[in-house]
Amino acid sequence: MNREDRPATLDPLVERLNVEFERTLKRNIKGLTYIASAAPTVGETPRDLLYKNGTLNLFHYRPLASEIYRVPLLVVMATTNRGYILDLSPQLSFVRFLLEAGYDVYMIDWTPPAADEKSLRLEDYTQRFIPECVRRVQATSGQSDVTLLGYCMGGVLALLYAATHPEGPMKNLVCFTTPVDFSAMKLFSKWSSERHFDVDRLVDTLGNVPSELIFTSFEMLRPATRAASQVKLWDNMWNDEHVKSFRMFERWSTDTLPIAGEYFRQTIKDLIWGNALCTTTFRLGGKAVDLRTITVPLLHVLAEHDHIVPYEAAKPLVRGVASKDREEIVLKGGHVSVVAGPSAKDRLWPKLDDWLGARSV
Amino acid sequence: MAERPGRDTFAVWRDLLGQWEKGMNSLANETMASDQYTRSINGMMNLSLDLQRTLGESMAAYLTALNLPSKSDLSAISERLASIETRLDRIVTAAEGLALGAPARPEPVGTMPPRTRKPKTVKSP
Repeated sequence: MNREDRPATLDPLVERLNVEFERTLKRNIKGLTYIASAAPTVGETPRDLLYKNGTLNLFHYRPLASEIYRVPLLVVMATTNRGYILDLSPQLSFVRFLLEAGYDVYMIDWTPPAADEKSLRLEDYTQRFIPECVRRVQATSGQSDVTLLGYCMGGVLALLYAATHPEGPMKNLVCFTTPVDFSAMKLFSKWSSERHFDVDRLVDTLGNVPSELIFTSFEMLRPATRAASQVKLWDNMWNDEHVKSFRMFERWSTDTLPIAGEYFRQTIKDLIWGNALCTTTFRLGGKAVDLRTITVPLLHVLAEHDHIVPYEAAKPLVRGVASKDREEIVLKGGHVSVVAGPSAKDRLWPKLDDWLGARSV
Repeated sequence: MAERPGRDTFAVWRDLLGQWEKGMNSLANETMASDQYTRSINGMMNLSLDLQRTLGESMAAYLTALNLPSKSDLSAISERLASIETRLDRIVTAAEGLALGAPARPEPVGTMPPRTRKPKTVKSP
């Protein structure tokens, strides 16, 4: 039947079938390429290693702007995850956005703790590692002020540092999806309940907590999502951008880091069982941890559909500090996509630039 | 080309997949929030840890009997090597700094731009 002879109502259907036929062909061809090709390169923005101490790595990103803000920015990554989530590709890089916007960016990025680092405690991370990095950022930049930005558990570490160093040095504190009320993280609290979870036996037997256990715990929060995402990948195999993005996020999510044993034990006992950040009796390295001692400008960014750190777990932060200049923003997205997904470019990043730029001069 | 709603023949199937994912996650979350589930996964983990510990101890005893190094012996050597490497790195950095007559601390690569940037629209914090 010629196009002219065909009823007009069939045109859209034929058009659609053509599209699907083309996509099916592409799926098959690109599917083979997908299996044979290497994972995409991530974390390409040039940076220099300023300092390394075991699991701790302090990087300095090379500036991309001709004029930069006075106050340097130190990003604290979560101890379970690699920092390249903030620098996935030149087109999707929070770090590159910051550099181009004129920030002098440093990052605390972690590597798997060695067997002898199983004794690292929260005190090491918040009273030794972060202060040492802050000192090095000050020395390298020649500035006494430093802004701290922590993501997820990195936010908790930044918060613990801020609460135990009220005198600073800290100019601003930015937290992304940072839990404070751990009792509101329902499933994690349930699985690690004091009645059933023998954290001592786990740490005493294994030393450091293996990455597989951490990865599985996160996966179990949404057990059907992995299978569904594989089907969605096949469905979108014809779309190069979707495949590239999927592979970058997939690589990152499976690249989970082990956790130092004692640090994990403290996280379970103090932060989850004791819900220490909601009390005023918690102490680290002899110093009281009281959020009310934090007076620097604070921005807390939360994700509307965060399945790891729900709103209820994160909301006490802004209410708990004594800062006069404090703001909480809730944006559409999930725990990762709010910070590093394609929509973050239009939602979070410009908002952060507006907030931080005015406070970095 | 943006697709007009209602014309994608696979749209129903995609919707169903989305619903299945949401439903399964929700159902699994309910199940996993039960005491029974928590008790059983922790019980299994404890069993696995005990087995691992027993196996590790037996293997270590066996290797000792054969006069061979165990995993912990190798880990100890590895730790010492890592510690020596770290110290060597520090010595090399310090020596390079001394040789160049520069302080032995890292300097930013290239010249840093001036720290004079102001926000596009200055807002009072």
